[in-house]
Amino acid sequence: MSVKYIPVQWNFNKYFYDLVLLICVAVYILVFIRIGTPEAGVTRPIDGAIIRMRAFGTCAFLMLTVILCIGPLARLDRRFLPLLYNRRHFGVLTFLVALTHVVYVLNWYYAFSDISPVVGLLTTSETSGQLLGFPFEWFGMLALVILAILAFTSHDFWLAFLSAPVWKRLHLLIYVAYAAAVAHFALGYLQDATNPFFMIVAGGGAVMVSVLHLAAGLKASADGEQAHKGEWIEVGDPTVIPDGRAIIVRIKGNERAAIFRNGDALSAVSNACAHQNGPLGEGRIIDGCITCPWHGFQYRPEDGCAPAPFTEKIPTYDLRLEGDTLLIAAKAHPPGTKVDPLTVPERDA
Amino acid sequence: MGNALITIIQVYGALGGLVAIAFLFWGVDRIAPDARGAYVFRPLLIPGVVLLWPLVLWRWQVLERERDVAQRRHKPPRRSQDVFAALLALAIPIILVVALLIRQQGPFEWPAQEIEQASTEEASQ
Repeated sequence: MSVKYIPVQWNFNKYFYDLVLLICVAVYILVFIRIGTPEAGVTRPIDGAIIRMRAFGTCAFLMLTVILCIGPLARLDRRFLPLLYNRRHFGVLTFLVALTHVVYVLNWYYAFSDISPVVGLLTTSETSGQLLGFPFEWFGMLALVILAILAFTSHDFWLAFLSAPVWKRLHLLIYVAYAAAVAHFALGYLQDATNPFFMIVAGGGAVMVSVLHLAAGLKASADGEQAHKGEWIEVGDPTVIPDGRAIIVRIKGNERAAIFRNGDALSAVSNACAHQNGPLGEGRIIDGCITCPWHGFQYRPEDGCAPAPFTEKIPTYDLRLEGDTLLIAAKAHPPGTKVDPLTVPERDA
Repeated sequence: MGNALITIIQVYGALGGLVAIAFLFWGVDRIAPDARGAYVFRPLLIPGVVLLWPLVLWRWQVLERERDVAQRRHKPPRRSQDVFAALLALAIPIILVVALLIRQQGPFEWPAQEIEQASTEEASQ
């Protein structure tokens, strides 16, 4: 949370996350080059430059694979949530590693030419009309352009400026980038690789991305829409909400609300955090404030306002009891509207 | 084709540069309260503005005219994300299987097939 933009918001956890990332990338590239060097030579088909470009290319592919796994893993198991915390730095580093791969490619295969390397890359292929021998570099370029867009719009300013839903729609391009990266790998490296190790690691990683997304999608589709009673929606027994936690209610379409218990007081707010639309209902109440599980943004339960000096606000909802059944209003109040909490005793242990 | 594409990219980039100058020196202070008095982070925005200047212009006018609907900021595109994720989950195995099928050495050991070459005339164009 910040009241004035700064270039990069680092804290201890982010330093640690970034340090681990950098060490993993450096170790991978050094090991790859070390193992590959004995097979390389200026008189052989693979030389040192190709080993280095493959080291960075495969590293970027594996990093993208891990990034794509983090989202569904966090949805399937909360223990993976810490990996989500600094995923944007992960993405920016992936772009830089992929860019290094491209620089090696252009400075090797397109060096000493009269035409620009990029023009050469786009025009020298003679087999674009068929699958066999299709210029797989085009897929790599598409993935790189998308990774550039995502990296350049990763600052919090873009979230506030575009609004989180528009920003998230833009960042759905990560799926297109990964499909392009898989095609780049499959029509390029996979076509002439003789060592099965990386084929299995990269191919297995891509299949894992596929399986995890299907599993997370199936889990999400199990969430049904609650029964509507005119302008109110039936939630059920309010005593099942644990203290300091919430239940998530599907209102309509993409709209969800989180009903939090703080002692014997119930409050309902939008489930979407104002920062990155993180699922507030999967967070908990810390120091009297609803705390987003993704990046720790906080809001007061009664009015959905972030504590001063922060200015973020989220919509609130009316709650009422009908007998023992809890109901929530189908229409949200504007962000930051105060709503008196509903008093409901906790269930006896 | 390549040179035409490069020209289009250069024109697009030049227009993006102009938008970046106007937005970062003038517009950003009008529509983003948290950016007022904050200057060090602004160079980081330049590549994004140059790449996405039509989107920047659209959001700029929405915020300038105060047409931003606060409630919409809290409706994440869940359905779109589910569709994208499902399509990716389907595309990955298809791409991998097709790539293995056309591979000319292992694991299926198909007989080698000569890649169709463009004619000399086509190649020289």
